[in-house]
Amino acid sequence: MNPLFGSSHVARRLVTAAAWLCYLFLLVPSLIVVPISFGNSGQIEFPPREFSLGLYRQFFTDPAWWGSMVQSLVVAVATTVIALLLAVPAAYALARSELPGRGLLRGLFMMPMLVPVIVLGLGLYLQFSNWGLLDTTAGVVLAHVMLTTPYIMISVMSGLQHSDIALETVASIMGASRRVVFFRVVLPQLGPAIAVGALFAFLMSLDEVVVAYFLTGTDAMTLPVKMYSSIRWELTPVLAAVSTLLTVLSLLIALGIIALQRKTEAHS
Amino acid sequence: MTSSSTASGASGLGPWSAIVLLAPLTVLMFAILLYPLGLTLWTSLYDGQLSLRAYAELASSTLFLKVLRNTFEIAITGTLVSLVFGYPVAMHLAAQPPRRRTACLVMVMLPFWTSILVKSFALVAVFGNQGLVNQLLGFLSGGQINLPMMFNRVGVVLGMINFLLPFMILSILGSLLALDRRLILAAETMGAGPLRIFWKVILPLSMPGVVAGVLINVTLSIGMYITPALLGGRQDMMVANLVDFYTRQTLDWTAASATAVALLAISGLLVAMLGRVRGGLSGGAA
Repeated sequence: MNPLFGSSHVARRLVTAAAWLCYLFLLVPSLIVVPISFGNSGQIEFPPREFSLGLYRQFFTDPAWWGSMVQSLVVAVATTVIALLLAVPAAYALARSELPGRGLLRGLFMMPMLVPVIVLGLGLYLQFSNWGLLDTTAGVVLAHVMLTTPYIMISVMSGLQHSDIALETVASIMGASRRVVFFRVVLPQLGPAIAVGALFAFLMSLDEVVVAYFLTGTDAMTLPVKMYSSIRWELTPVLAAVSTLLTVLSLLIALGIIALQRKTEAHS
Repeated sequence: MTSSSTASGASGLGPWSAIVLLAPLTVLMFAILLYPLGLTLWTSLYDGQLSLRAYAELASSTLFLKVLRNTFEIAITGTLVSLVFGYPVAMHLAAQPPRRRTACLVMVMLPFWTSILVKSFALVAVFGNQGLVNQLLGFLSGGQINLPMMFNRVGVVLGMINFLLPFMILSILGSLLALDRRLILAAETMGAGPLRIFWKVILPLSMPGVVAGVLINVTLSIGMYITPALLGGRQDMMVANLVDFYTRQTLDWTAASATAVALLAISGLLVAMLGRVRGGLSGGAA
């Protein structure tokens, strides 16, 4: 029963073969770093000839490596918190008010997704070199907040569309103040949508490299920037250990997002 | 209970509360998005006095023109390869029962969630001179064959399609799933062979997904920075790398800004086209 290919077996086999070639091509690069990371600590080899944790030891004993990872985690957490504080109220106001010019504001809030990152990287570099924010944690966080808010907005606005507006009306008629309605009625319903946006923002900030490369030097260098220069100049096998750690973290976050989205869909 | 006449009833926000809630993000977008974009435009135009000199120099610069040609060549090659391979994947996915489709979709989405640096590093490990593929080729040919597939044009295109394929596949899959399967059964009953069915029924009906996928791919690839920098050679510089080159190597901020503005204009045009296609699609569906 396969109406898309009709009854042709040859066509089906050809399509299946091409598809599996692509699955392999998409899958292997994301997974091959895992076995390499447990190999010999002297060179990049696949398949590894011996099992060792040497590359992880190198990663965690080199301050340049784990320092940049700590820096990345600090930036990602700060970015997520600030982006939530800015984007959630704004999304709520766009969805629940009749302010003129909402369409224009919405376009402005979504704009960071549409501008090539290299253009933003250069613009922020010119701006921050005037403002003394180059190579500071605050500078990277500001840039990442701008880059990640659209994704939180999208998630929260779709959550608001699915939430029951009647509950807000009822609470309001029963005498609840605006603030009580927002914190006791709106926020609890939006929980999963906000969590999805937050996880996405966290992952984006953690993986962002182009803007961070323009804005940071030795002091505020994030992990992706360190990886970028390492791939470019030395191609050390420690990269396999870093890549494995990052991939595991990304997968956990992706699974979290998928689970939360399932939950929201089941609700509505 | 005073404003219960509005559509959202008593839950609607008054204009002042809305302004208070919207103000912080609006200020941020003006300060950290519009201001740096404006500053870039200004830097490209102002060099002691307002002039279009930077643009005139770009238009006559062999480096810029070569890089521009590279960018389009690589973007179009990457998009075409991703279309040729993405289409069968979308067909394969569309033909699966829902549960298996989800499992296959996980494989398609995995690279989407993986850091571009992890993928770049891994692609070197797979396709590099001592990589997995060349080891295999060397083993099969007794050390005769070693294909240079990294740090050249092939490397950039490989990295590019690894990044672009998921977007192409998902876009085409949307069209294929919306396709009415009875049309295929009808064509088959009337005696059409599989090739004829593909050319006359499946392909034309999936064109909206193909067009959207192609535009998304070109838009994404035109501004690529990491892939050409890490997987290409010196000959494979793209526009984004040129912006970096002017900024860091020659410290020519005027040229860097003019190049960035040119890139912004090209990608703005593509986004507008994508918006029209998308708008047309949803309009047609409604």
